[in-house]
Amino acid sequence: MLEIQNVSVRYGWHQALFDVAANVRRGRITVLLGTNGAGKSTFLKALGGLVPTEPGASVRLGGVEIARMPAHRRVEAGLALVPEGRGIFGKLSVAENLHLGGFAHRARTDEKARLEHVLELFPRLRERLPQIARTMSGGEQQMVAMGRAMMSRPDFLMLDEPSLGLSPLLSKDMFRSLRRIATEADIGILLVEQNARLSLEIADFGYLLENGHIVGQGPADELRTSPDVLRAYLGEDVVPG
Amino acid sequence: MTILVTGILLGGTYALIALGLTLQYGVARIMNLSNGETLVAACFAAWLLFTAGGINPLWGLLIIAPLGFIANGAIYLGLLRPLVRRASSQGMLEVDSILATFGLLFLFQGLMHLAFGGAYFNYQFLAVPFDFLGGSYALNRVTAFFAAVIIALALYLFLYRTRIGTAVRAVAVDPDAARLVAIDVGRIAAFAFALGGAITASGGVLLSTFYTFNASMGAVFVMKALIIVIMGGVGDVRGAAIAALILGVMETLVASLIDPGLTLAATYGLFIVILLFRPQGLFGGAKG
Repeated sequence: MLEIQNVSVRYGWHQALFDVAANVRRGRITVLLGTNGAGKSTFLKALGGLVPTEPGASVRLGGVEIARMPAHRRVEAGLALVPEGRGIFGKLSVAENLHLGGFAHRARTDEKARLEHVLELFPRLRERLPQIARTMSGGEQQMVAMGRAMMSRPDFLMLDEPSLGLSPLLSKDMFRSLRRIATEADIGILLVEQNARLSLEIADFGYLLENGHIVGQGPADELRTSPDVLRAYLGEDVVPG
Repeated sequence: MTILVTGILLGGTYALIALGLTLQYGVARIMNLSNGETLVAACFAAWLLFTAGGINPLWGLLIIAPLGFIANGAIYLGLLRPLVRRASSQGMLEVDSILATFGLLFLFQGLMHLAFGGAYFNYQFLAVPFDFLGGSYALNRVTAFFAAVIIALALYLFLYRTRIGTAVRAVAVDPDAARLVAIDVGRIAAFAFALGGAITASGGVLLSTFYTFNASMGAVFVMKALIIVIMGGVGDVRGAAIAALILGVMETLVASLIDPGLTLAATYGLFIVILLFRPQGLFGGAKG
């Protein structure tokens, strides 16, 4: 379990997150929904150690406190992040990107088997191994980013808007891969999405973030039919009655 | 033909010096203007070992390169890491580190002046002719070239075939992404800076076997290295090697066909042309 408590983030005078708390279970997909500027990306960056949190924050991964570790040690602890804009090594080949994904000490055993698993999950990457990553299409780059994160043998995987820039068909494929990753590899997934409809279809649990506050939470199938969610994130008018 | 070979032989040593600088700038993001002082210190160290201890400079490499590693590592950890820590942006770090290493340049230059004075030094190592394709070349230049090729190849294999080497390149490409794959960027940067110092020191040792050196030539060489690095593309090992050969041949051409006094002018002329027309390097594509 990934237990998150009291995560607050300030950028100068502006406070982006207020005492955010959430739990992510292994083998499940947890989605964080919110409009632009709600603080979703900031939240993932704070968990990944890329932006500092205010004192008092607690992030426990399998019981181990990681909230004060630098970013690279959080990966060693088992938390991988696919950031906004993917963060792949554009000038390096696909093979090198995946190889670097396995840089963490925790990932050095069974590297071959894990690479095989990633290539089976994203068959497209197998034919593209020698290609320079930035010359690939957006969908393929997203696969590289996810594959690279998988190579670090994470217990928990965080993804920031993986469907951004993908066609509806590709988005569907991508969400299906996420479902497989969660179930087959017993990885807990924390997903940040604007695409509420698709993400709630594959998620188990959801949180609603607004202006840096958690304003709602519940099982995904409940959120899917909740009038608040429908109005705010699915853009549907709710017929009273 | 003779000019071409002489130029290539000189370029081999230039390549090592530039590779040291490109590692420091490309990975640790420090434009180390005092890199030339590592080179000069290595020249003097090789001279001392040879004249006082009778140690062959090729063996001297085994002592001086590790010393270059340690000294540059200490400079990074002691003086430059505080700048890295407080820098709020890449631009700020660049300005701070250029000013700091510019100061170091004069500090080390002064110390070496104090120790060795302003006189020119050289020593006789393998100063015998070597005949090749109808031309005659000093054996020490040929030896230095092949030693440089071996060291550069070893560096290339390290960077492209090992996990740590790949991590070094990853930090050069994207330090933020490197953190996401559990790379300790601070440690890799310190390591690359130290390694760059060791490579430049090796270049200095090889240079001293055929070149007359003095305590104040560091600045000239760091400029040459800078030209090579920019010509080859920042952080590009292969580009730097080819650019070094080009610079070596060009300097030899100007020196033997026009006037030896013009080599430095020609070097800077080339620098300006490159900055104007190919600022991303001869082999670099568009930025990205």
